[in-house]
Amino acid sequence: MAQFLQQMVNGLSIGSVYALMAVGYSLVYSVMNFSNFAHGGVIMFGAYFGFFGITLLKLPFPAAFVLAFVGTAILAVLIERIAYKPLRERKAPFLYFIISAMGASIFLENIIIATIGPTFRTYPDVFGRSSIALGPVAVGRLDLIMFAVSAVCLTGLVLFVEKTRMGRAIQASAYNMKAAALMGVNTDRVVMIVFAIGGMLAGIAGVFFGMKYTVYPQIGNITTKSFVAAVFGGLGSLPGAVLGSILLGIIETLVAGYLSSQFRDLIAFVILIGVLVFRPTGIMGKTTEDKA
Amino acid sequence: MLNVENLHVSYGGIRALKGVSLRVDAGEIVTIIGANGAGKSTLLNAVTGFLKPAAGTISFKGKPLSRRPDLIVRDGICHVPEGRLVFANLSVENNLAMGAYLRNDKKAVAGDLEKVFALFPRLKERCKQSAGTLSGGEQQMLAMGRALMTDGELVLMDEPSLGLAPLLVQTVFEIIGEIHKLGKTILLVEQNAFRALSVADRAYVLEQGRIVKEGKASDVAADPAVRDAYLGAESKAGG
Repeated sequence: MAQFLQQMVNGLSIGSVYALMAVGYSLVYSVMNFSNFAHGGVIMFGAYFGFFGITLLKLPFPAAFVLAFVGTAILAVLIERIAYKPLRERKAPFLYFIISAMGASIFLENIIIATIGPTFRTYPDVFGRSSIALGPVAVGRLDLIMFAVSAVCLTGLVLFVEKTRMGRAIQASAYNMKAAALMGVNTDRVVMIVFAIGGMLAGIAGVFFGMKYTVYPQIGNITTKSFVAAVFGGLGSLPGAVLGSILLGIIETLVAGYLSSQFRDLIAFVILIGVLVFRPTGIMGKTTEDKA
Repeated sequence: MLNVENLHVSYGGIRALKGVSLRVDAGEIVTIIGANGAGKSTLLNAVTGFLKPAAGTISFKGKPLSRRPDLIVRDGICHVPEGRLVFANLSVENNLAMGAYLRNDKKAVAGDLEKVFALFPRLKERCKQSAGTLSGGEQQMLAMGRALMTDGELVLMDEPSLGLAPLLVQTVFEIIGEIHKLGKTILLVEQNAFRALSVADRAYVLEQGRIVKEGKASDVAADPAVRDAYLGAESKAGG
């Protein structure tokens, strides 16, 4: 039982970081109707921004953390302006967006390899390795902080989307851009804000993944998992993305704990395919009717 | 209030409008009738900024039209689009709140909401319900209510009776009259020419991207060519 609880806690912690990435994916998908494959590159930049903020600029962790997510928010908006906006203006088919996203992703990865190099780098130990005992369960400090920060960010995002005027405009644009514009919404600005939020959360996730594992140019590939989680929960749905991510995190740690970590990804992807076969819109997928 | 001069618009490689001129004066109901593909929706989409004119000018209240759809809404033109396009993922209440997206005058917004509910009591009953669960007629009412919430002076309506049962078509045209009484100027695009002409002050007949006839709605309705082409059986049945 203690082991099971321990795995659940670990799964919750890693799942909450998947959620940070997955909601960014989902937000962009819900408004633009395409999968932003450059998201992984943004996460990778977040990991590097945080790393160099601490090691090179000698910033205290909170400052490096802010540097990372502000940097990635700007980066995500820049990617949108350069790689997607011209396509939007020409009303290009969604396939072009995906190709452009892949190009941006390859560009981001290779610019790091070319300038900083392909080596793996390890974050300095910021929080200490000791763990906190919660009854029979030991929680690592980093895991606890990851979970707490993710929970705060996700709650903030939900409140923003549900309770503010701009959040409502995002929901309206997600349903139909034209109709939103007819209400006086500047849809170009909505797209920019969506990318800024997605980029910010990606930067936070990048720092956490860099701290939990290591920093390297392909770290963005981890977004494949958040993509799985977003599809699993229902692309375009924020609660779906969070739920899918938490489930994926828990499934992974349970498989790794009880079977073998070799099987972890195998089983996660088998579940994804299973979900898609029986429920193509995911657990809480949005309906895409009327979407131009 | 709205002045369109010699407007040319291409849409999907086709020249959909070939030199259209028309005007809508404050307080009028003006209708544009014409067959499917005559360019009616293209005209409205040019007025709301979704299509860029290849040539010609559009001015609103004596000034050239703003360039972006959201700025045009700010100027005071609102659009009830074809197919309604209500936000199915939002509640009725939030759809109406979206209509007031640009407005900060809370009191006036609350007052307009009361007017909309007075006009469409059904929407008040279904306030908390998701707009996607409404019937076609209710969605049309919501699309109209939402447009009224923008507080635009000129209301464009694109095929408001499309796809509705005959009884509801009647209701929709009654509501158009009510909206007019609220002091709105209306530009109505309709395939149901008989109804449109009976509610309008003036009318334009659009054929293949050109205005072929214009005048008082009653005169246009009495025109033998128009009766033949657009009114057909309905005018006989309806008198």
